[in-house]
Amino acid sequence: MNHVNISNWYNSLINEFKSKSLSIEKVSRRSEYWRKSNLDIISDFVDDTSQIDLNSINGTCLYEPNLTVHGDILELADEKSYEGLSILDVIADEDSFAKGYFGRLEKKSQRLVPRPLARENTLSPKVGYVFNFSDNLKKPLVIHNKTSPSASSCFQRNLIVLKENVEATIIETGNNLSVFNNVTEIYLGKNAKLNYLDLTGEDNLFPKISHKFCDMAEYSSFNHFGLRLNTKATRTEIELHLNGRGISTSIANVCLLNKENHISDENVLINHNAHECKSRQVFKSVLDNDCTSIVRGKIYVEPVAQKTDGYQSSRSLLLNENSKFLCKPELEIYADDVICSHGSTSGSLDQESLFYLLSRGVHKNKAKEMLISAFISEALDEIEDGSIKSALSNYIDIWISSFFNE
Amino acid sequence: MLKIDDLKVSLEEEEKQIIKGLSLSINPGEVHAIMGPNGSGKSTLSSVLAGKDGYIVDSGAVKFDGNDLLEAEVEERAALGVFMAFQYPIEIPGVGNMNFLRTALNSQRKTRGQEELNAADFLKLVRGIAKELEISDEMMKRPVNVGASGGEKKRNEILQMCLLEPRFVILDETDSGLDVDAMKLVSRGVNNFSSSSRSFLVITHYQRLLNYIVPDFVHIMVDGKIVKTGDKSLALHVEDTGYKDFLQLGKEKH
Ligand SMILES: Nc1ncnc2c1ncn2[C@@H]1O[C@H](COP(=O)(O)OP(=O)(O)OP(=O)(O)O)[C@@H](O)[C@H]1O
Ligand SMILES: [Mg+2]
Repeated sequence: MNHVNISNWYNSLINEFKSKSLSIEKVSRRSEYWRKSNLDIISDFVDDTSQIDLNSINGTCLYEPNLTVHGDILELADEKSYEGLSILDVIADEDSFAKGYFGRLEKKSQRLVPRPLARENTLSPKVGYVFNFSDNLKKPLVIHNKTSPSASSCFQRNLIVLKENVEATIIETGNNLSVFNNVTEIYLGKNAKLNYLDLTGEDNLFPKISHKFCDMAEYSSFNHFGLRLNTKATRTEIELHLNGRGISTSIANVCLLNKENHISDENVLINHNAHECKSRQVFKSVLDNDCTSIVRGKIYVEPVAQKTDGYQSSRSLLLNENSKFLCKPELEIYADDVICSHGSTSGSLDQESLFYLLSRGVHKNKAKEMLISAFISEALDEIEDGSIKSALSNYIDIWISSFFNE
Repeated sequence: MLKIDDLKVSLEEEEKQIIKGLSLSINPGEVHAIMGPNGSGKSTLSSVLAGKDGYIVDSGAVKFDGNDLLEAEVEERAALGVFMAFQYPIEIPGVGNMNFLRTALNSQRKTRGQEELNAADFLKLVRGIAKELEISDEMMKRPVNVGASGGEKKRNEILQMCLLEPRFVILDETDSGLDVDAMKLVSRGVNNFSSSSRSFLVITHYQRLLNYIVPDFVHIMVDGKIVKTGDKSLALHVEDTGYKDFLQLGKEKH
């Protein structure tokens, strides 16, 4: 047990939340939110963070200019227009700005879906960062997670606040080398914009659950892109609260799994609480060697949320017979003037397309790569920044050629 | 160059023979046309020559420059110089046309042990061909055939042919769906491309095309066999009287 100083406000929050925690449905195979999911994610959370590398900001490392992200050089934030704090310092600080934010979104995000692991995280954060952005980040900020192999668990807790009109791009990288439970609460002010790329966990062997909760004011926008490259057991829970008019948001995910029995488990809930908001969800999974990709994507439209435009597409490419794509799109709509659509498909490589490419002399492996890459491109197209998109796309193409054509 | 000897081909899915003993010999520089009623097996023949899955060769042989063509993989056939312009070219969303063309060309060059073409040289080459076939830059930038009209797709097939420089070309109803101007354009493309070492197998329903691409031989295919071979006047005869004279021939040979 490490000793953490705690402020009075955090202490009373703990007391309040502890009693409420009792009513949160526990993780179980019978729960509709966990059916077919990998329950390893919840095993072995013990209270030991002594081995976690507490570098820079607890357990994470912020990269400054000219870092190579996956082989391509991206220009990164040069002037520091932000302040990064450690979560442990923040919950110890009686006057921290965070007391108006911390835990609120987690609590709000328990309403429709029970999230017991997020609650546990709230009650005992171990590492994490707090950002309060009041100016635009001109270049992307890279956050690299660092955990040490000997740490048996990690509760990472982050808080990101973007003030009115502020724009930022955050790229999160790095593996967890132990079981990992992450909660990130994100607050976007009016007209603020956050592009978040979660590129963590490539070839990750350790179970990880990552929660992202985002509270959005009018005209703000949140674009999330997730990449799962042979993650063994990763679960993501994203919940967005669209609270003002004119909000737009996009959640895209590319999942490529070909190591035996790997699982990726994506859960998205978008609450349309205001009128004229737009949400998009694009999931693409390519699965081989008996891997499983789960997608639960829900759009919830409140009666006031007229003129909601909700789009959801989940598609998978199954490269072997026993791979599974389990997709559960849900629409719960209480407003009458809305456009909501969802589509889901599962299939193998299109033989006609393959023949066309081969008949022009393209080698078989290359042809498969081209078709896989084409298949996921719709999700990559959700990324706004052209240079990030092309860097990632190149990186993924190389990855595809080495993993799907061994 | 190409020698088909008593070829019999069935469908893999159902027990149904489509090609029922077909022989055909094509020498370098020759243009052969095949005409025949719908469903007689013309596209099946081209698919089998190009190496498409789903067919079983019951008997017979196909030699290409002495190689056993039926043994070669699809992409090997392409590298040997076999090219089939599809009757119905498909769309491949997400695969950029330029990327596809460059990969195809360089894959073939690699298979043949030639050096790959660099980006600049490739661009120059492909732009030149596109210009001749009046294919717009915008079309070249799209994913393969996506959003292209029927005629535009056919023109893309001819562009691929010109770029990949095959020695044996099958045109499967390339003229269908082309307007008069496009047909002239495509024919000009083909004629400019033809040479004493290249051969063509032109499948068509219309004599009109053969005014532009003049065949040395015209074959009539009925029910999986070639029932009549003649010169270009045979096509005119078909235009006048249809296939009724030949349908009977198909049955007699059974
Ligand atoms: N994959 C297949 N499955 C079922 N039937 C097939 C298949 N391929 C070909 N056939 C059948 O084989 C016969 C020959 O078809 P094919 O497409 O070769 O004819 P075609 O001569 O090219 O006709 P068209 O002039 O209409 O293009 C037809 O009866 C067709 O229905
Ligand atoms: Mg046909």
